[in-house]
Amino acid sequence: MTRRQYWTGIIATVVALVIFVVPFVFIAFTAVKDKAQASHLDFTWPLQFLFWQNLVDVVTTRNYMLLLAYFNSSIITVGAVAMLILFGAMVGYVLQRRQSRWNQVIFGCVLAGLIIPPAVVPTIWVMQGLGLFKTIWGMVLIQVAYGLAFSVLLYRSFIATIPRDLDEAARIDGAKPLQIFLRVILPLLKPVTVTLIVVQSIAIFNDFTNPLYYLPGKENVTVQLTLFNFQSQFSTQFNLLFMNILLVTIPPLIVFIFFNRQIVAGMTAGAVKG
Amino acid sequence: MRCPVQRSPYPYWFVLPAAVVFVTLFLVPTVASLWFSLTRWDLYTASYIGLDNFRQFFSEQNLTLGLMNTVIYAVLTSATKTVFGLLLAVLLTSGIWGQSFLRTVVFFPVLVSTIGVGITFTVLMHPTKGLFNVGLAAIGLHGPGWLTDASLALYSVALVDLWKGVGLATLIYIAGLAAISPDYYEAARIDGATRVQQFWRVTVPLVQPATVTVITLSLIGGLRSFDLIWAMTKGGPGFSSDVLASVIYKQYQAGFYGLSTAGNVILFVLIATIILPLTWWFNRKEVDL
Amino acid sequence: MAEVVLTGIRKSFGAVDVIKGIDLTIKDGEFCVFVGPSGCGKSTLLRIIAGLEVATGGTLHIDGKEVSKAEPSERGIAMVFQSYALYPHLTVRQNIGFGLSLAKMPKDEIARIVEATAATLQLEKLLDRKPKELSGGQRQRVAIGRAIVRNPKVFLFDEPLSNLDASLRSQMRIEITELHAKLATTMIYVTHDQVEAMTMADKIVVLNGGTIEQVGSPMELYNAPATPFVAGFIGGPKMNLFEGKLAEEMRCRTYGIRPEHVLLGAEGRWQGRVKHVEHLGADAIVHLDVAGLGALIARISGDTGLRPGDDVRASPQPGKEFRY
Repeated sequence: MTRRQYWTGIIATVVALVIFVVPFVFIAFTAVKDKAQASHLDFTWPLQFLFWQNLVDVVTTRNYMLLLAYFNSSIITVGAVAMLILFGAMVGYVLQRRQSRWNQVIFGCVLAGLIIPPAVVPTIWVMQGLGLFKTIWGMVLIQVAYGLAFSVLLYRSFIATIPRDLDEAARIDGAKPLQIFLRVILPLLKPVTVTLIVVQSIAIFNDFTNPLYYLPGKENVTVQLTLFNFQSQFSTQFNLLFMNILLVTIPPLIVFIFFNRQIVAGMTAGAVKG
Repeated sequence: MRCPVQRSPYPYWFVLPAAVVFVTLFLVPTVASLWFSLTRWDLYTASYIGLDNFRQFFSEQNLTLGLMNTVIYAVLTSATKTVFGLLLAVLLTSGIWGQSFLRTVVFFPVLVSTIGVGITFTVLMHPTKGLFNVGLAAIGLHGPGWLTDASLALYSVALVDLWKGVGLATLIYIAGLAAISPDYYEAARIDGATRVQQFWRVTVPLVQPATVTVITLSLIGGLRSFDLIWAMTKGGPGFSSDVLASVIYKQYQAGFYGLSTAGNVILFVLIATIILPLTWWFNRKEVDL
Repeated sequence: MAEVVLTGIRKSFGAVDVIKGIDLTIKDGEFCVFVGPSGCGKSTLLRIIAGLEVATGGTLHIDGKEVSKAEPSERGIAMVFQSYALYPHLTVRQNIGFGLSLAKMPKDEIARIVEATAATLQLEKLLDRKPKELSGGQRQRVAIGRAIVRNPKVFLFDEPLSNLDASLRSQMRIEITELHAKLATTMIYVTHDQVEAMTMADKIVVLNGGTIEQVGSPMELYNAPATPFVAGFIGGPKMNLFEGKLAEEMRCRTYGIRPEHVLLGAEGRWQGRVKHVEHLGADAIVHLDVAGLGALIARISGDTGLRPGDDVRASPQPGKEFRY
């Protein structure tokens, strides 16, 4: 490392600490302050560390609403991601392996899904007709519909790297189409599947707009909706508001620590042109 | 002797589950929006009123302002993310001290809840008590009302959007830079190119695929953006930071479903008229290379 | 144990005809090699027999049963791929047993069969490894093992040795030949390498441009090639083939003489100059420039004293000339 690289690094680190780290430290500090100190909104060392008490206060607010929110968000995330993996891989597989004019149609749908903003009110109208509006399962299916394009694109480009000989060997071994897919192809998709699980779970867990439209109602709250609603509820209790932000920030942080590599792979996959 | 007919090992029913969900919850509403945007609609009965919704959209000042703001916000966030993303990526691939730590720090905000970020920065941008203005006061400057000044609010939100999103642009650029063979830089150095010349003559042209991705992704994101604006200003003060997506939500809340849907159609047309020619142009340029 | 009969097999991809009508009978227990240059349709023909491609026209019978449109797994065939196509996520044991487990065979029976097969191929110690932990030759054996457990009526090999280095290739040639001798099953083997064809086949099918040029035993093809293409393809170095003036003198369109049948000496029909000599040890390949004829290759005894620039006379060995 040259002197120049060393000093540039030091300066860049200091600047990055101020710009990117201070807001997070501010969240952490405010989350453990008492109500009075938090209301100053300043960036100071906490006089008291009320981590546990603030945590309990936030969790018990409005009859344990935050726990319900975590429960709902988890169900939506797990359900939607599971379907995105399975359905996305199946479409990507057929799209990559079978050449026909239907491919153009499917590919057009994928691009439409990536670009077109969802038409919200007509979607609510359709969901009401199907009895899916204001239901957790409706929300799961919405996330699947909106996330499919990305999954299909990622799977399609990965499946292109799996030699077709494997499918053919399995056919000769007597595997039916579904068996080829489940027993040969799907296990080989593991790297991209892990990436998709991580990236899509974070996206769905952090989603605010879609639950706002399609999942109104107290019994259906999600983590992001709760946080948004607490903004007015806790307008005088910033310590609790920031404790809530801290709780919402921790899951992606944990995921990031464990799956750094996969997240980077998934996010940069967008750079590889479809 | 019986001769069974062979079937494709890649049957189309594999597409079926995905297709059912996608068609009912995405395609059908999208197509239906074209009709409902021409109606006065309360979710149960829709009466045809021609282009009235669109006329209203383009005649009411707060609605046209939303359209303007959408374009300003998208272009601004996209441009700044592209420029800062590339500069950061060059910096973070130059082998400086603490490089991997810096990459992590720059990228982490991408993963954090937008609502959480929005609330945090709303507090940090508080006109008197917020860290922004307290910091400025410390060096003798009088900070503005970041979110309370109607002429500034949209730009303040765009600044936070840059903070949250620049990590993704950086990451895509880092991947793009990694794909450039070091041979080009060595050849340029042998030809006597300075660092600045290397950046403009080698890096910028050869990293173009990443630039296309960053611009396209951030433009689409910017044009559709809602949650950060909603968490920070709710379109205020007044209508000064409203964008199409927040207008759509406000009209929906107010029960003007036809008008809200017309907003959706306008957003769709806006995105298409910006993204499609852009993609076409980028593709053509790429062939030239 | 089965006869394979192809009748009028055709295959086109869009407007391109890859196989242009092939009639062929491969007898029970025969080792049949499809050979030809790349793009001649040999692999496509093998894939049609396997059922991985469906022929555009014609019929295919295996063991007296029409299987033209049957699923690959219902044809009683097994195939060894050029890339081996081992399932990367499964161990050797699971790779060999994959087809059996699909057929819902009881686990202990699968284990018994897999281990017996592994023993014949000296794979016992490798059963719990993944394909990526194996050498090229070991992967080849696993691929063969996977074919054997299917207990097929016909074995299909698609250029199975092309990914191996030269010494391993000649060893595997012998192993496959021995396997054929032991199992006495019909085997169809595709290669572009005429040495493999000559050394392994009972019957060689020479393909060119989607049609059969000639079918016969290796020595039949060597001694009596039916067309200039076969003459040039079988045997190495390539047969000297001449068109034009010399052919006219010989009253034919193409005149051919194998390098090993060119005699060099002080006397002879043609006056030539040595351009280059390749010493192979026992043999030497002499490249000549013959006045009025062009390049001529001769294969002579390795102890020759010829050097580049020497003048020499050449003549064809009587009775070994080919006229087309």
